[in-house]
Amino acid sequence: MRFFLIPLAAAAIPLVANPYTQFMVNLMLVYILVAVGFNLVLGNLGQLAFANTALFGIGAYTGAMLMAHAGWPFWLVIVPAGVAGAAAGFLASVTALRGIRVYYLAIVTLAFGELLRWSYIHGERATGGTDGLAVPRADFFGLALDSETARFYVFLVIVTVLVKALHNLLRSKIGRAIVAIRDNELATASLAIPTGRYIVLAFVLSGFVVGIAGSLFAVLIGRVIPESFGLIELILHFAMVLVGGLGSLFGGVLGAVALTALPEFFRGFPGMYEMFFGGLLIVFLLVQPRGLAALAARWFPALRERYYRER
Amino acid sequence: MLELHDVSVSFAGLQALRNVSLSARGGEVRALIGPNGAGKTTLFNAITGYVPLSAGRIALDGKAIDGLSPHQIAARGVRRTFQNGGLFPELTALENVLAGLHSRIEASFTGILFGSRSARAAERAALARARELLKSLGVAHLADQPVKSMSGGQQRTIEIVRAVAAEPPLLLLDEPAVGLAPPLRAQLVELIRRLAGEMGIAVLLIEHAVDLVMAAADAVAVFNGGVKIAEGPPAAMRADPVVLEAYLGHG
Repeated sequence: MRFFLIPLAAAAIPLVANPYTQFMVNLMLVYILVAVGFNLVLGNLGQLAFANTALFGIGAYTGAMLMAHAGWPFWLVIVPAGVAGAAAGFLASVTALRGIRVYYLAIVTLAFGELLRWSYIHGERATGGTDGLAVPRADFFGLALDSETARFYVFLVIVTVLVKALHNLLRSKIGRAIVAIRDNELATASLAIPTGRYIVLAFVLSGFVVGIAGSLFAVLIGRVIPESFGLIELILHFAMVLVGGLGSLFGGVLGAVALTALPEFFRGFPGMYEMFFGGLLIVFLLVQPRGLAALAARWFPALRERYYRER
Repeated sequence: MLELHDVSVSFAGLQALRNVSLSARGGEVRALIGPNGAGKTTLFNAITGYVPLSAGRIALDGKAIDGLSPHQIAARGVRRTFQNGGLFPELTALENVLAGLHSRIEASFTGILFGSRSARAAERAALARARELLKSLGVAHLADQPVKSMSGGQQRTIEIVRAVAAEPPLLLLDEPAVGLAPPLRAQLVELIRRLAGEMGIAVLLIEHAVDLVMAAADAVAVFNGGVKIAEGPPAAMRADPVVLEAYLGHG
């Protein structure tokens, strides 16, 4: 139950936030899903799959196209966006299962993302090409999502449900199987754990969560354009996982919040953000490769990532 | 009961095992000895599905297991340890043992996602079982330590605990005594005897140390160049001229 204290406290944010800071908080919620979804494959499963912007983009375009072309309401497109992301995740998992791993997997998944971006640009009739696609006004079961506050509460519920489900999953036999594969895949199979099935599951779940994040992103920004899902975006996703903590759910949340807020501190100093961001990545890679979550766990042992639950 | 009939394994033309027949039954420790490269670990890999057979059959309780994948063979009740250590280094001892109980935890996917009462009860039961195992095998104090921070001897013990967690009828131990100090070796012998004696497990043990084999094994199979050259009680093997030849003859 302690878990729910965080979203409950967060529910008070609109009382103190102006529309701009509320927009930033909403963006943080989107990126929390992006980071925890990415972390499941990168940190927990330990696979260098860089399809995350592809999953994010597929979710965003699926949501936007269903709303713009088919007139579906927002609440109805969330699950299809997740399923589209999950399908893309499944493709990436098949690549990994065929023995394409490490750098080869990284290159193949990067190319997959670029291929998708190319198809957004050239599939003009469906995607609007380089101009992108405007997302019609969204509503959630009759509640118009035309204010940042309205979007916030809907996003908060979705993010809470998904992160809680992942939290349950990671502290179960499934979460243990996934990190066991990362630590020693051959030995995992020797314990009667079907490794291939769990590799597919991790990729599919990751795609589902990141795909849903894409649909929230589309609604929040109001337009999807191919440039939102390029390499720079991928580096941002990667940085969130790395700075937050590879393989830590809590770390993913921290990283998403920290790196979404970061550019705000450099608004008066053009060019400084990019320098600081690059430096930050290098420092974390060299000095703190397990991220903020590992730092926090050093001070508060209760925060250490555990793969079982007492209750 | 495990039975191997004329098992052969070859890698790219090199014959690693040739027509090996062997059996293992519950409550009995059978040691596999022989010089490096004799094919002992290959035999383990063949039994557990990590390398394919080029000829022969392997059956567990009368049912063929050759051709199955490692996790399927493990699901039939075969557990093994690895010569180079098969633990999950980032996980604690407790989490490692819980992974060994994976197939014993009956919880549905949706039950786990939504934290259902029955899924949580299944996980709780496994947790209690894992703690009890660590305690009964004398390593309860290591439960919450990440295994990467443990000594080699502690790691080998945890790996054995993890391997027997699901009460397998057959256990394959690949050089469990490597790097162990003498007092720990005595403990290991005692542990192996308990696994066979109290739990009724059939144990196959690859081991180089003659003293440990003499103390732990009920029977010894001697390998050389991929062939089983002799088999019998430990004392007889020690005096067998064929065995002495294999170890000492060609130098």
